[in-house]
Amino acid sequence: MTDIRKVAVIGAGVMGAGIAAHVANAGVPVVLLDILPKEGDNRNAIAEGAIERMLKADPAPFMNRAAAKLVTPGNTEDHLDLLKDCDWIVEAVIERLDIKQALYQKIDKLRKKGSVVSSNTSTIPLADLTRGLGEGFARDFLITHFFNPPRYMRLLEIVQGDKTAPAAVDAIAAFADHKLGKSVVMCKDSPGFIANRLGVFWLQAAVVEAFAAGLDVEEADAIIGRPMGIPKTGVFGLLDLVGLDLMPHVNASMAASLPKDDPFHALNKPLPLIERLIRDGYTGRKGKGGFYRLNREMGKRKEALDLVSGQYRAQRKAEVDAIADSGRSLARLLSHDSKHGRYAWQVMGPTLAYAAARAGEVTDNIADIDEAMRLGYNWKFGPFELIDQLGSQWFADRLAREGMAVPAILKLAAGRPFYRIDKGERQVMGLDGNYHTIRRPDGVLMLEDIKRRSEPLLKNGSAAVWDIGDGVVCFEFTSKMNSLDSDTMALFMKAIALVKKSYKAMVVYNEGNHFSAGANLGLAAFAANIAAWGEIENLVGGGQSTYMALRYAPFPVVSAPSGMALGGGCEILLASDAVQAHAETYTGLVEVGVGLIPGWGGCKEMLHRWATLGNLPKGPMPAVAKAFEIISVATVAKSAAEAKDYLFMRPSDGITMNRYRLLADAKAKALDLARDYKPPEPPTFNLPGPSGRVALDMAVQGFHRQGKATDYDLVVLGELAEVLSGGDTDVLTTMTEADVLELERTRFMNLVHNEGSLDRITHMLETGKPLRN
Amino acid sequence: MANYKAPLRDMRFALYELNAGDELATLPGYEDFTRDLIDPVLDEAAKICEEVLHPLNRSGDEEGCHWDNGVVRTPKGFKDAYTLFREGGWTSIACDPAYGGQGMPKAVNVLMEEMICSANLSFGMYPGLSHGAYVALHGYGSDALKAAYLPKMVDGTWSGTMCLTEPHCGTDLGLLRSKAVPNGDGSYKISGTKIFISAGEHDLTENIIHLVLAKLPDAPKGVKGISLFLVPKFLPRDDGTPGERNGVTCASIEHKMGIKASATCVLNFDEARGWLVGEPHKGMRAMFAMMNTERLSVGVQGLGLAEASYQGAVAYARERLQGRSLSGTKYPDKPADPLLVHPDIRRMLLTQRALVEGSRALSVWAATALDRSKHHPDARERERAEDFIAVITPVVKALLTDFGFDVTNLGVQVFGGHGYIREHGMEQYVRDARIAQIYEGTNGIQALDLVGRKMPAHAGRYLRQLFHPISAYIEKTIDKDGMTEFVEPLAKVFGRLQQATAQVARTGMARPDEAGAAATDYLRLMGFTVLAYLWARMAEVSLPRLEKDDPDGFYKAKVMTARFFMERLLPQATAHFQAVMAGGKTMMAFEDAAF
Repeated sequence: MTDIRKVAVIGAGVMGAGIAAHVANAGVPVVLLDILPKEGDNRNAIAEGAIERMLKADPAPFMNRAAAKLVTPGNTEDHLDLLKDCDWIVEAVIERLDIKQALYQKIDKLRKKGSVVSSNTSTIPLADLTRGLGEGFARDFLITHFFNPPRYMRLLEIVQGDKTAPAAVDAIAAFADHKLGKSVVMCKDSPGFIANRLGVFWLQAAVVEAFAAGLDVEEADAIIGRPMGIPKTGVFGLLDLVGLDLMPHVNASMAASLPKDDPFHALNKPLPLIERLIRDGYTGRKGKGGFYRLNREMGKRKEALDLVSGQYRAQRKAEVDAIADSGRSLARLLSHDSKHGRYAWQVMGPTLAYAAARAGEVTDNIADIDEAMRLGYNWKFGPFELIDQLGSQWFADRLAREGMAVPAILKLAAGRPFYRIDKGERQVMGLDGNYHTIRRPDGVLMLEDIKRRSEPLLKNGSAAVWDIGDGVVCFEFTSKMNSLDSDTMALFMKAIALVKKSYKAMVVYNEGNHFSAGANLGLAAFAANIAAWGEIENLVGGGQSTYMALRYAPFPVVSAPSGMALGGGCEILLASDAVQAHAETYTGLVEVGVGLIPGWGGCKEMLHRWATLGNLPKGPMPAVAKAFEIISVATVAKSAAEAKDYLFMRPSDGITMNRYRLLADAKAKALDLARDYKPPEPPTFNLPGPSGRVALDMAVQGFHRQGKATDYDLVVLGELAEVLSGGDTDVLTTMTEADVLELERTRFMNLVHNEGSLDRITHMLETGKPLRN
Repeated sequence: MANYKAPLRDMRFALYELNAGDELATLPGYEDFTRDLIDPVLDEAAKICEEVLHPLNRSGDEEGCHWDNGVVRTPKGFKDAYTLFREGGWTSIACDPAYGGQGMPKAVNVLMEEMICSANLSFGMYPGLSHGAYVALHGYGSDALKAAYLPKMVDGTWSGTMCLTEPHCGTDLGLLRSKAVPNGDGSYKISGTKIFISAGEHDLTENIIHLVLAKLPDAPKGVKGISLFLVPKFLPRDDGTPGERNGVTCASIEHKMGIKASATCVLNFDEARGWLVGEPHKGMRAMFAMMNTERLSVGVQGLGLAEASYQGAVAYARERLQGRSLSGTKYPDKPADPLLVHPDIRRMLLTQRALVEGSRALSVWAATALDRSKHHPDARERERAEDFIAVITPVVKALLTDFGFDVTNLGVQVFGGHGYIREHGMEQYVRDARIAQIYEGTNGIQALDLVGRKMPAHAGRYLRQLFHPISAYIEKTIDKDGMTEFVEPLAKVFGRLQQATAQVARTGMARPDEAGAAATDYLRLMGFTVLAYLWARMAEVSLPRLEKDDPDGFYKAKVMTARFFMERLLPQATAHFQAVMAGGKTMMAFEDAAF
């Protein structure tokens, strides 16, 4: 199998540049080429401009600035020879067969033997792309269809031709899996592959039916959204996001390539209102607005487009009784006797039927259809999982009753579900009508599977402990949003005793969207509102002693975060022996945003890390200043790589690109550390005391004068400065961890007594945004 | 029949000494309301209540209201009393000066309301309901409606009603059936039947202005589809005099347990002409706007009756000679000792007194918050006051009306058989008090409002304005000379309240039935805690006056009553605490069929 050590991407548009950036994120050098610009002297202007834009973009295509240095920009006139030593060449140029084929001709002459060429096309069949090119090219050619944005969308659709060599497919699939962190779905060479084939149908159905039913866009998005596990942007919100102008193009190319009897044609009618919007520049969020917009002339009024009149009006909350009336039952929603219930069916009935009818056409594996919709459109459940929620018999009967064709796979199911659990194994129905166990790729360990097969070793309302084999336990947060409370701490203490007695190591890991957004603020705010100060002090002190117990336990503790690890969720990383983080981990000590300071050892650990690992000038002040700089503005590292820049992670901590491989990597790391494990030596601190505090205060006052710090920031940052400078100490006094923790605790308590902090917490709980009081 | 003397000394204590009544005049709009102005007003209010209203209380109860073919007559003397009341300016006292009102602070008004309720609750219903309608119209009516109706409602020539309840829906207004159809000229045709309408029809005023909840043709389901309409009994002419009779008729009046002189009407609206108050479908908003003041007023009804009953019981316990003291004869020159010497009689009287004075302190506290919420110049202070009102309103309404019933019952008990017969008027207080536990949101609903809406809102933010002052007060006062005996029990019950609050919030979030099961006991626990706080403060204010500044023994009695409350009444809070902590499993598990 070819080892991919260098990559080239041709075409520096949004997709090509994003793919190149993501290859760089994996630490692999990449060449990014585009054509010569129409004007100007810089012949590399297009590729260089793309890199510059990406460095400013949010969400960022690069995981940190260092990654950008791995991208070499160039142009297709001067630099094609750079392809010579590339193992994989990705073509992401304009969707025109003649241009692509001409490019392939050139590439084929230069590329090294055994290198793989792939196209990021989303519309052109592979058979057409390779027509007329040599056997050798066809053997090394495949389609790699990324989703936008390539860093964040975890789906990669791969299409191979009849002639493609298995080794070429394996090499790219393995690279995409391990290095790019993608979930690879193998598709047949059919139009739109899987996700877009279904997604475009679904969007079109939802738009057409909303017009037909005269619904508000808010109503449509409320229905075709949360109740189905579809992101709350729903349909119209999603179109605003991707751009309305894309819709006619995608629909036209889909219509051109689909067979004449495909049900999509019936839906693909012109929508004059949308055409007008595009003409007038209302292309969505990137344009003057779309179905929703923020009207700045009317004091930032949120507006929505009336689908009947075509005029904007104030956005209104959708009142959909059908949702409340159905509880959580999708079947009840789809049969609700109201215009909303009928709309739900008119969209989802045909969409799910269309998906079911594609089994065998787009892939033989229906689990891959579900995976493609989950990862390509962020649906929580794939279409077959949704049909299982409805009941396959219920769905088949309903289709028959509505006079719609019942897809073959539904007839085959004959009332059975598409998925079932058999002896702890998840199985999926094949095209043969039998159930087949879903096998994870080698080296993938999922807690979800372990939980299906076993009982927890320990468990309470906020956490659970699982045996994940080889003497390692997994500590899982199970509370709402994985927030941390006194129950979490209590179970940690029990787990420590258990591992001490019978196991080798502990991994802190879970499979929620976010590792943990920190302490349960609602609980803390409520306790503060009822003046239960003792309870809050116990929560802070209890958390501190728990994290200290983890740090000095006689076995290694490895934290394996993915998604957000903020506040108390970040402090647990700081208290661990090592971290194995998913690349998409967002870490930060964000307490000041809610008027608090890190109270579970976060201040202490940042002081210690910057003093020992920071490569800072000598003296007590630099580490204090650095920790203050990071915590005082609630800095969030927007990738695991960036977390290392802030020392939220140590240089020696590991990063896993593929979410599915995180637990296995963390477990391996824990076992590695368990050999000859010795707990760390407790650090000591020599802090500057009042002189340091003065320096920090002056800086804060400067920010206040410039309007960058609010009045209440002065209070919060004053307490933070007091902790980080060591309180009433001087540089000759050696402080222990306990001393710094006590400072954290008392200063935290000062703040929690303050109405300003409670206002910030309440505001965050209710709006999700920080209050700048 | 028992006499009534307005408890002006204790009222001034509650207003000035406990709740900083003098600071009212520092609020914008209240500059005139200094002690020089307030004191004479209170004296005058006492006079009309004692001399005009109270003498009609029992006769009104005996006679009741008369219904004859849609016309309702109030009992003898009511019409003259109302004329005096109106001419004395008492209907306008708490109203907006822009419409002819006197703009009196709520903290003062609440004391006058108490006097009226002590003197004659049935009579008080007429101006009371009118004021409720005034508040809703003032808050939400269009300028044209306000200009046309408010001046006459303020000066009392017209009165008002609130028409909510229908035969099939009381608490659950979402089930409302009354309809409003647009006439096309900005007015509406209102049709439907309303019941339990206090002051719905009577002979005291020349016109009656009904505020009616009804649904427009395109109304959304449930409470989100209710609109508020103004429907006058007589359509005013252009010159403002009552003109054509509108399509609203009184079909009958109810025969009730108490407040018999208050006409409780069934009203039929038959395509009556009405006008929208506020926005379509937003009628509940206007209801909520008046709810806080109305619920405080109903709480004060309980207080007023309790005060009247206490006065009767004390007078009787002094006069009535029965038996000898257990510790030996106290009045050897008399054939027997007065009831007052007996421990159980003293228990009942002190229970009445401690609950009445505690309730008064609470009602004035809540009323000053209402004043701050409207008049304080700092928006933040207004918000704090509103938060406090949100929490304290259901407590005031439920606690004070429950006490009203309990205390008037004790009054009957002190009288023995003479309390049970009608002659002394003691049983009337019990009957009159009973309704206050029911209307304006039953006390069960108040408890649900507290645990279900007020407690969880904004992560407990409303609670802060109650819990923080008490917590800070305990911390500040616990070691103060002479205060330990009062603050220690307060600290204990406050700790229990915190514990119960955390438990109800936690279990209630996951299982709403748990919050519902805890609600009434929780409200009581909070009520007792609040009273303990107020009694500790009353003791704190009184203690320094004991030696040198207490010629009539007022402060000594205060301190002793505070002590009695802490020793003998506050322990009830523990029982409520334990009931809350026991949870609702058993009652919810009880089989429906087994009831």
